[in-house]
Amino acid sequence: MINKESIAGRIVRIAFLAMWLVITVFPLYWITITSLKIPGAIFKFPIAYWPDEFSLQNYAGLFSKAQFGVYLGNSLIVATVAGTVATAISILSAYVLARFEFRSKTALLMAALVTQMIPSFIALGPLYMMMTQLGLVDNRFGLILVYIAVCIPFCTVMLRGFFENVPDALEEAAMVDGCSRFGALFRVLLPVMRPGIVAAFIFNFVNCWNELFLSVTLMNSDTNKTIPTALNGFISSFNIDWGSMSAAAVLTIVPTMALFAFASRYIVQGLTSGAVKG
Amino acid sequence: MRRRKATFALGLATAMALTGCAAGVSDGTVTIHMVESLTNPTRTAVLKTLIAQFEKQNPKIKVDLISPPTDQADQKIQQMLQSGTGIDALEVRDITAGPWSTNGWLYDMSKELQSWSGWKNLTENAIKYSKDAKGRTDYIPYGFYGLSLFYRTDLVAKKGFKNPPASWDDLLTQATAIQDPSNHQYGYAFRGGTNANSNAVAVIEAYVADKIDLDNGFKLTDGRTIFSAPEALNALNTYFKLFKQASPPSSVAWGYPEMVEGFSNGSTAFLLQDPEVIATVGQSQVINKSQWATAPLLTGPSGKAIQPVATAGWGTAASSKHKAETAKLIEFLSQGEASTTFTKENSLVPILQGASEDTFYKTGPWASYLTMTENPSKYITVTQPRSSSWWTEWIQKSDAEVQKVLLGKMTPEELLASWDTYWTEKWKGQ
Amino acid sequence: MTRSTSERVERPSRLGSAPPANMADTRPRKPAFTTRRGLGIAAFMAPAVLFVVVFIYYPMISGSQMAFRNWNLTDLTDTSWVGFKNFQAMFADPVFYTVLGHTAVWVAGSIVPQFVIGFAIALWLRRHFRFRGLYQALIFFPWAISGFLIGILFRWMFNSEFGVINDLLSKAGLIDQPIPWLADPKTAMIAITVANVWYGVTFFTIMILAALQSIPDELYEAASLDGAGKARTLFQITVPSIRATLSLTVLLRVIWIFNFPDIIFGMTGGGPSNETHIVTTWMISITQQGDYGKASATGLIVVTMLLVFSVFYLMATREKKGAKS
Repeated sequence: MINKESIAGRIVRIAFLAMWLVITVFPLYWITITSLKIPGAIFKFPIAYWPDEFSLQNYAGLFSKAQFGVYLGNSLIVATVAGTVATAISILSAYVLARFEFRSKTALLMAALVTQMIPSFIALGPLYMMMTQLGLVDNRFGLILVYIAVCIPFCTVMLRGFFENVPDALEEAAMVDGCSRFGALFRVLLPVMRPGIVAAFIFNFVNCWNELFLSVTLMNSDTNKTIPTALNGFISSFNIDWGSMSAAAVLTIVPTMALFAFASRYIVQGLTSGAVKG
Repeated sequence: MRRRKATFALGLATAMALTGCAAGVSDGTVTIHMVESLTNPTRTAVLKTLIAQFEKQNPKIKVDLISPPTDQADQKIQQMLQSGTGIDALEVRDITAGPWSTNGWLYDMSKELQSWSGWKNLTENAIKYSKDAKGRTDYIPYGFYGLSLFYRTDLVAKKGFKNPPASWDDLLTQATAIQDPSNHQYGYAFRGGTNANSNAVAVIEAYVADKIDLDNGFKLTDGRTIFSAPEALNALNTYFKLFKQASPPSSVAWGYPEMVEGFSNGSTAFLLQDPEVIATVGQSQVINKSQWATAPLLTGPSGKAIQPVATAGWGTAASSKHKAETAKLIEFLSQGEASTTFTKENSLVPILQGASEDTFYKTGPWASYLTMTENPSKYITVTQPRSSSWWTEWIQKSDAEVQKVLLGKMTPEELLASWDTYWTEKWKGQ
Repeated sequence: MTRSTSERVERPSRLGSAPPANMADTRPRKPAFTTRRGLGIAAFMAPAVLFVVVFIYYPMISGSQMAFRNWNLTDLTDTSWVGFKNFQAMFADPVFYTVLGHTAVWVAGSIVPQFVIGFAIALWLRRHFRFRGLYQALIFFPWAISGFLIGILFRWMFNSEFGVINDLLSKAGLIDQPIPWLADPKTAMIAITVANVWYGVTFFTIMILAALQSIPDELYEAASLDGAGKARTLFQITVPSIRATLSLTVLLRVIWIFNFPDIIFGMTGGGPSNETHIVTTWMISITQQGDYGKASATGLIVVTMLLVFSVFYLMATREKKGAKS
C-alpha cells in the first residue's frame, strides 16, 4: 500500500519503533518487577533488574485486606454498560453532525468541546446534591448515567470525524437501492465504521474504568466501590510502601491491558480489512 | 445488528437488576452511616470489628461504615454534610472541626453525652479537647498524636555516641556524623514537602520555650508571634544546616510517607514523627526491632521542648435523624475495651486514664512517650491554632516558603518576617 | 482535478475521485428546512443532548455561581454575592501569571513530542510487518493506565535514591551523583513532562492510525506514478487527507493536557515551592484551602481562555484548508 522504502529508511524505522517499544514497556516491566521482589529487596544496592528471588508477598498482603473481586465486578459492569450506551448514543449524534447542515450545529460542537474544559470540581457539589435528590447516590445505575454523560461529548466528536472520512457515496448508493436513511446508517455505514466504533468504545471503557473523582463522590459502601477508588484508598494509606503500591498498580492495569490486547487486535483486523478505503 | 441491539438491552437490564435498591426494613432497626477520614486498611478492619461488637450489644442499631480514600475523604465528607443526607457519625479532625462547626454541620452532643458515665475515665487532655471554646462538644477525641524522635540505635552507637540526641544541636552533630551519601546513608529524614512547616515550627517553638503562650503555640507571652523572637532565627539556622549537611537532597519534596519510608528502608538514621509510625516501622523488612528506638522530643537551648497536640475524634452530623443512636456509638467507641483496642492498634496516645499503665505503653518505642508525660515541665504541651479557619491556607503558604529556603530562593530571615506578618495580620483581623 | 466551491469538497475521501464529488453536488445537500428533517435531526441528537445537559451542564452552571459569591468552605455562614471580586483577586495575584507560564511549558512540552512521535509511529505502522499486531497491542498500553497510576509509576522510577532512572544514567556514565529529580524545580518539570509524553503518544497514534485508513490507496498510487518523493507524498497527500482528524486531535489534546492534574499530583503535587503547578493543580490547591469562590473563578477563567483559544485555532485551521484548495 505504500511505495518501497530504502534500506536506510528501513533501519531508521525499525530502530525507532524498537526504541519506542522499549520506552513504552520498560515502566510496566519495572513496576511488575518491583511488585514481585521480596519486600525490602527493592531498597538493596545494587538495584536488581532481575531479582534472584521472586515473591508474591506484596500481592498476598493486598488480597487479605480487600474484596478485589467485588471492585473488579463493579468496574466491569459500570464501564461496559456506560461505554456501550454512550457509544450507541454518540453514533446517532455524530451521524447527524457529520451528514447534515443545520443552524445550531457549530454551537452544539462548541458545547461538546466546552465540556472538556470544565474543571470537574465546579460541578461535583451540585451533581452530588442532584443525585441525592434522585436517590442515585451509592448506586451503580446512578454512576452509569453520569459516566454516559461524561463519555458522550468526546465520543461524538471522535465518531463524527470517522463518519466524515467515509464517503457519502456509500450511503447514497444504498439509498438509491431503496434504503431509508436510518437503514443506510445501520446496514452500510456502521459495518464500514466498525474499527472507529470499537476505538470509540475502548476510549469510553478506559475512561470509565480509570475514573476516580466521580466514583469517590457518588459511591459510599464497600460493595459499590470501583477499582480506582479502592486502589486510591490503598495507595494513599500505604506510606509509600512501594512494593504493595506496585502490586496494587499492576492489579489495576492488568484488566485494561487484557482488554487492549484483545481489542487492539480487533482494531487492527478492522483497519486492515480495507473496508474503509474509498 | 439485531444481535447488537439485544446485547444493549441485556446490558441495560443487567444494570437495572444489579442496582435495584434493597427493600426498606421497618422492624424498628435503625441504620446509622459512619464516615471515616484518615482511612487506612488496617484501621478500617479494626473499626469493623469494633462496630460488630457494638451491633451485637445493640441489636436494633446497624452501622454502615463508609471509608473513602483518605486523600479525598474530607472533601467527600463536606459534600455529604452540605447535602444533609446519608451521614450520621463522622471522623472530625482538629483542623476540620472549626470550619465544620462554623457552618453548622456538626451537632453539639453535650445533651446526649451529659449522663455518659465514660467522662470520668477520660484523660485531662481528652476532656479538654471534647469541648470547644464555646463549650460545644463537636467530637470526642479517639486518641492523640505527638512527636518523638525515631533513631537508629546501631548507627548512633557505631559513630561512638552514647546517647540519642536530646537537643536539636545534638541531632545536628550526630546526623552530620552519620551522613555518608556515597554509601546511600543519610542522617535525618528532613521534612521539606507537605507539612514542612510543622517541623520548622517545632524547632522554633523549642528555642522560644521559655516565653511561649501555652494556649497558642504561635504566640509569645508578650503577645507577639514566635517568629518575631531573635531565637527563632537561631532555631532555623540549626534546622536548615540539618538539611544541608545531614539530609538526602531529595528530601526537599518529602512529606509524611517519604519520611517514614526513608527511615524504615534504612536510608536515614533519624525521623521526627507521630506515634502511629511505630507500627509502620515495626513492619519494616529492612531494619529489625533491635536497630531502632525512640527518644523524647528534641529540646532547645533552654533544655525544654514544646509538644504540639494534634487530635481527631468522632462527631455527629447536624443533619442526622438518629442522634441518640449515633451518640451511643460514639460513647461505645470512646470507652473501655473499644477505645483501648483502637488506640493500641493504631498506635495513638490513649484517651483513657490508666491506659498508659498498660505494659504496652511502658516498653519499647512507647517508653519515650512515658518519659515525656512524666516530665511536663520539660516537655511542655501547647495548643497550636490548628482550628483557625485559615489553617490550610497557612500550611500551603508556609510549606512553599520552607521549600523556597531549601532551594535558596529565600533567606531564613525573610521567611520569619513573612510568617510574623502573616499571623500578626490574621490576629488583628479577628 | 475538478473542485467545486462547496465547503464539503475538502473532505479528504473525495480527493482524486472526481465522480463522487460531482455526484454529491447533484444531491440536494442543504434542503430547505422541512419539519420532517428537523424532527429527524432532533430525534438523533436528543439522547446525547439530554444526558449532557442534565449531568454536565446543569451541575456546571449551578456550580459556577460560586465564582461570583463569597464561597469559602471554612465559613459558609455568609455566601453573599460579590460580583467579580474573586476574578479581580485572581488577576491581582502574581502567582497566577507564574502558574500560567508553567502551564504553557507543560502543554507545549508535552504536546509537541507526543504529536511527532505519535504521528511517526502511526505512519510506520501502516506498513505490514511481522508481529505488528503484538507491537500495536504493546505500545497502546499506556493509554489504558490512569493518570494517577502513571504518577506513581514515574515517581518511583524518578526516585532519587532507589529510582531506576538514576541507576541507568549512572550505569551509562552520564551522572556521578544521583539527581534529586522531583526536588528541583527544573528537573521536576522535566520529569512530569516525560511522564506525560510517555502517556500521551498512544492517543495520537490510535487516532492518526484510524484516520490514515481512510486514505484511498489510489491516491498513493497516483502520487507514486507522478514520481512524488516521500516528503511530498507526506505533505501533499497524507497530511491534507487527515487534516480534520489531526487538527481536532491536537485541539482536544491541548484542552486535556491543560486540564490534566493527575500526573502532576501523583508526582510532585505542584511542588517544590509551587514550581510545577499548572493552572488546574493550583486551582485544586485553592479548593483545598476551602475557597471555592476563588477556585471557581479560576475555573471560569480557564474555560474562557480555552474557548477563545479553540475558536482562534478552529478559524486558523479552517483558513489554511481554504487556502490550499
